[in-house]
Amino acid sequence: MQSSKKHSYRLSRKKSEILVGYGFISIPMALFLFLSVGIFFYAIYISTYDWGLIGPTENVGLDNYRRALSDPIFLKAIRNSLKYALLVVPIQSALGLFLALLVNSKIKGSKFFRSAFYFPSIASSAAITTLFIFLMAPDGVFNGMLKFFGVDVSNLFNQGAWLSDSRTALYSIIGLNAWTTSGTMMLFYLANLQTVDSQYREAAITDGASRRQVFWYITMPLLKPAHFFVVTTGMIGALQLYDQAILAGGADGSPDYSLMTMVLYIYNACFRKFEFGYASAIGVILFVIIFSLTILQKFIFGSSAWRGEN
Amino acid sequence: MFYSMLIFYSVITVVPFIWSVSTSIKPSDEVYQSNLIPENPTVKAYATVFGKIQPNFQTLFANSLFIACVVVVLHLIFAALAGYAFARLRFPGRDALFFVVLGCMMVPDQLRLVPMYQLLVKMELINTGPTNYLAIFLVKAISAADVFLMRQYFLTIPRELEDAAKIDGAGPFQLFSKIMLPNAAPVLATIAIMTFQGTWNDLFWPSIVLQSPNHWTLPFGILQFKGQFSTDWPPIMALVVLSTIPILALYTFGQRYIINVQLSSSVKG
Repeated sequence: MQSSKKHSYRLSRKKSEILVGYGFISIPMALFLFLSVGIFFYAIYISTYDWGLIGPTENVGLDNYRRALSDPIFLKAIRNSLKYALLVVPIQSALGLFLALLVNSKIKGSKFFRSAFYFPSIASSAAITTLFIFLMAPDGVFNGMLKFFGVDVSNLFNQGAWLSDSRTALYSIIGLNAWTTSGTMMLFYLANLQTVDSQYREAAITDGASRRQVFWYITMPLLKPAHFFVVTTGMIGALQLYDQAILAGGADGSPDYSLMTMVLYIYNACFRKFEFGYASAIGVILFVIIFSLTILQKFIFGSSAWRGEN
Repeated sequence: MFYSMLIFYSVITVVPFIWSVSTSIKPSDEVYQSNLIPENPTVKAYATVFGKIQPNFQTLFANSLFIACVVVVLHLIFAALAGYAFARLRFPGRDALFFVVLGCMMVPDQLRLVPMYQLLVKMELINTGPTNYLAIFLVKAISAADVFLMRQYFLTIPRELEDAAKIDGAGPFQLFSKIMLPNAAPVLATIAIMTFQGTWNDLFWPSIVLQSPNHWTLPFGILQFKGQFSTDWPPIMALVVLSTIPILALYTFGQRYIINVQLSSSVKG
């Protein structure tokens, strides 16, 4: 009698756990299925249609994809986005690591410096890009500083208009975002650094390793989870470049499409040309690029990096 | 040498912001002069953004605050509920559903743009009336990353904490509200701060979804006015300064919570 009561208690407990479980996840899962999973397949569906302002007119199969891959402006957008990602990710990661190592040492005021370094990461991209455009103007503070140090750029190109010259615009944005994101990357490295046991380093130093050897053979490998995280999130973020490009170069990614990115291209196809099917195909292409690069990074860093992050 | 590097980089990170404050109180003819302290400081730019521009700063601020707060509340509720269920409750299909959540983290916003927009048009939420706000709430209603973060944190809470309450006959719902939720305060604070910052700063979705100038957020306003004012920098800089102050205050106040969570979730390994 006693044991059957206990049994039924356990059963009802199990039942109520199942009930509460489904109750708790019902709305979140419905939202995920609707806003992410459903939307994902809807995007693929739309991408196979000639879909204008009045809605779908004709199923065109893979024509939208073919058209994208033969449009020189889209190819330029892909090149710009990849060039941007391949340059900004190593710079912001290295800078983030360097800053983390700087403020990780037990020095006076390390808290202040940590906050100062993180500062550009918290402001909105709209605010910071606008400020950047102002500082980089031909008569702006940056050129004034260069002049002060004896570098006069006003005769070199376009009166030193960094963001209005197709040769320098993208590199200027790379500089801007390396500066704004390095603070976030620093925090990821700091979190990882603080879990690294100092005894490995001490043991290596006792064995006569130089500081450089300790860094390359002890610290760097132990930071693998952070490397993976920083490179992956950095790459995904970089391929989604939009805010800085539209603020500095407008919807056309001026000058001369030098700031045209994949996302800006989607924006144009969608809201200036109202070619929703075509825009959706570009979205799918962007997803495929991001997805394959993430998988590639998983293989490069090895599966242990995944577990390290969880 | 060490300190000079630290100070040098702090100058690079902080001085541009000081410059934006300085420019916002300069008269127009001093804007491109290299003096940091204006010769004839004026608050004219602030008068402009508080009064003359349409929509004015107060409207942009109220919209940003309203949207950010609603999104924070939605993220907290859904992340806590789903995070707890995935971490502690046993029910059929749990792991498969959690895998779906992880998959949702892989869907970029840019892929969602076109279908989401089409859907919002069909739902008649792309309009200039108050229901336009619902469009942005729906787009941002839930975050897979927050559910994941919440689950990871719940997993680190020792089961012994629940055992005592279980013996007293507490069911899963009481365990959640009386034991788990109070112990998850740091991660809730982190999600709140990061979601607030992300929503406050977001330009992508507002620039696509919000139709009426009366609905614009601060970043969207900056984008629009930057085009309108072109070279009249003091009012634009005033907007830059005013939109950054709340986030700065939020971080000064909440910074320690964020670092704590990052540490504890990575210590778990």
